Amino acid sequence: MNSLAFEGVVKVILVLVLVSAVVIISRRDILSLFRSYAAQSLLLALVAFLSFIQDGQLVLLYTSVLILVVKGVFIPFILKRAQRGMSIDRDIDFHYLQPSGSILVSVLVIVGVYAAVADKLKVVSGGSLFLLGAVLGISLTLMGMMVIFSRRQVISKIVGYLVMENGVVLFSLFVSELPFLIEVLVLMDLVILVVISAILAFGMSSSLEEFHKSLNPFHDWFRGGNA
Amino acid sequence: MIVVLLLLVLLFGALVLVRGRRLLNLLTVADAAVVLGASLYMMAYSGLPVYLTGDGSLFVDMLSAYEVAISCLVFLFAAVFARGYVESLISDGELSPGNMRMFYVSFNVLMWSVVLAFISNNLALLWIFAELTTVASAMLIVVLNAKDNITAAIKYVFITSTAMLFSFIGLIMLFALSRHDLSAATLNWDVLAAGAASLSPGLFALSFVLIFIGFAAKSGIVPFHAWLPPAHAKAPSDVSVLLSSSVVNVGIYAIIRMYAIGIHTDARGFLSALLIFFGVLTIAVASFSMVVRSNLKKLVAFSSVENMGFMVMGIGLGGPIALFWVLFHTLAHALSKALLFFSAGVIQHQYHSVKIESIYDPLRYQPLATVGLIVGGLAVLGFPSLPLFISKFFILSQLARFSVWLLALVLFALLVAAGGFGFFFIRLMARDKPVKMMRFSPGLSIRVPIVVLMIILLFMGLFIPDSLSRVLGDIVAALRWS
Repeated sequence: MNSLAFEGVVKVILVLVLVSAVVIISRRDILSLFRSYAAQSLLLALVAFLSFIQDGQLVLLYTSVLILVVKGVFIPFILKRAQRGMSIDRDIDFHYLQPSGSILVSVLVIVGVYAAVADKLKVVSGGSLFLLGAVLGISLTLMGMMVIFSRRQVISKIVGYLVMENGVVLFSLFVSELPFLIEVLVLMDLVILVVISAILAFGMSSSLEEFHKSLNPFHDWFRGGNA
Repeated sequence: MIVVLLLLVLLFGALVLVRGRRLLNLLTVADAAVVLGASLYMMAYSGLPVYLTGDGSLFVDMLSAYEVAISCLVFLFAAVFARGYVESLISDGELSPGNMRMFYVSFNVLMWSVVLAFISNNLALLWIFAELTTVASAMLIVVLNAKDNITAAIKYVFITSTAMLFSFIGLIMLFALSRHDLSAATLNWDVLAAGAASLSPGLFALSFVLIFIGFAAKSGIVPFHAWLPPAHAKAPSDVSVLLSSSVVNVGIYAIIRMYAIGIHTDARGFLSALLIFFGVLTIAVASFSMVVRSNLKKLVAFSSVENMGFMVMGIGLGGPIALFWVLFHTLAHALSKALLFFSAGVIQHQYHSVKIESIYDPLRYQPLATVGLIVGGLAVLGFPSLPLFISKFFILSQLARFSVWLLALVLFALLVAAGGFGFFFIRLMARDKPVKMMRFSPGLSIRVPIVVLMIILLFMGLFIPDSLSRVLGDIVAALRWS
């Protein structure tokens, strides 16, 4: 693939990644959150694979396979299992931001990130894809954080964390020489798997009422000093 | 390095295979003792830094050896304490015997994650091991049969991991910066520190801020501290010791490493102001949070937050004197917190609670633990003749040179913290229960760490060994801290 065609295809995929993030921010139906997350991960795997074809670096191939298997298939699968155990289908209440407001804030986030980092990164960037990857990666991370802040259900917060993770992965794909990239990706997945496993184990050993009660403390996670 | 890997495989193999609680405990004690001995030996006899891998990803310099020694000393005390303490948890039904192996395996995983984080020259590797400490700590928090613990552990993992994602973005930027500004594309700290003057200050400052977010969360710096009090309070006391005296130091260590690069860039002024701001904010918020506490372990946890703020402020002040005393503070704080949480563990076992309304006449029922709480409490408050007094005094004297108004604010906050502690202890001692209760008799393995820690703290308050001063001086010189 010549480099212009490669850049063009990757840019289209990056726009689709952004669309998937907007879907995650705006949907209330939990299952569609999982589906959008899986689609977003598959798009990232595709970017990694195309970069491998372009650069020939094996680390990108491994990254692509890892994202495909773990983020594209395995994590969405166990999220569905956890959700079945919790009997929660939809996010009804939101903190601070309703989905429509979130989309508007997301646009501001992307513009803000571009304004904040573009000048500084242009100094060191190897090309426009690096800059685009950086801006969209950081924006995706912040959009994921917005999901964590605005959703009440712990399972939706987990999807928010996973979107943040995808933002970091997206940025790192454009700096493929980064040391220990694969190890970092494995550890990120390990962290989230530990959290979901804890919830699965806990959810299955408690009654529904108990579980809902136990979820209450999660709404003020990020307010600080609440202990 | 191959020998170390082989020993690790043997250690964890043995931890998975051996039968019997005592043997598991013995292995854990031996593990901590061996690593402590190795770090002390390296500080005394090896020409540091020593590179452990060909690509320079892992190395031991004086700072990493010092931090490893502090952590392993704490792990050693905690492993000895665990021998009696874990038995008491099992007899109380708080820990199921089936979870025993998980406790000891996680204990050792945590120790090695902390050690490897400290000896990581490559900052991406430091990030990985710091994240691994979160996973291992969370396993240790959920080991008790209580649903509150799962909530606390998930909160801990979520807050710190979310913040650590920002750190990783910062590391990617730092890597891109090194690729452009230095001859080598690297995240190895020694190369970055050597070429710091060539790094573009704007992008370095941005990557510093992002990296700071993650490691500040690991250390419980405000506003990323919300995980720390519940995690410390809900964890078994032995684990609270590891969190408060070792795991939080990983965050402070990373901040020292990053600032050691930053002081040689043009962004130094901004970075210094950033650290002092968050340090003072943390001291203020933690001190006021200590006023209204009725839970002993949460009170001690907030004191940890306050002391972490003190260290971050000290790092931000720059200058060799401030760093020297920040490093001393790290050691003295680790030992004081270990004493406090060990003592709180005994109190918790006696009254089945650490809330003030459940504790009666502690001096009569648990005199050693109560004295431990008083000595530890006075130590963390910086009472004269105890070691934290010296470090607080010298760091505050450096703050006075920076700003008298900030000094006044910090002194007021420390006074509030002392008031909070004092009020808690007066209420604690004044409570009397007419009904008699069974006295829990702590075993030798529980009493020894408490007594030894008290002796060390009293000794360190009056006398700082030459060897320790030399190590601290060497660290300051090696970091080219100016």
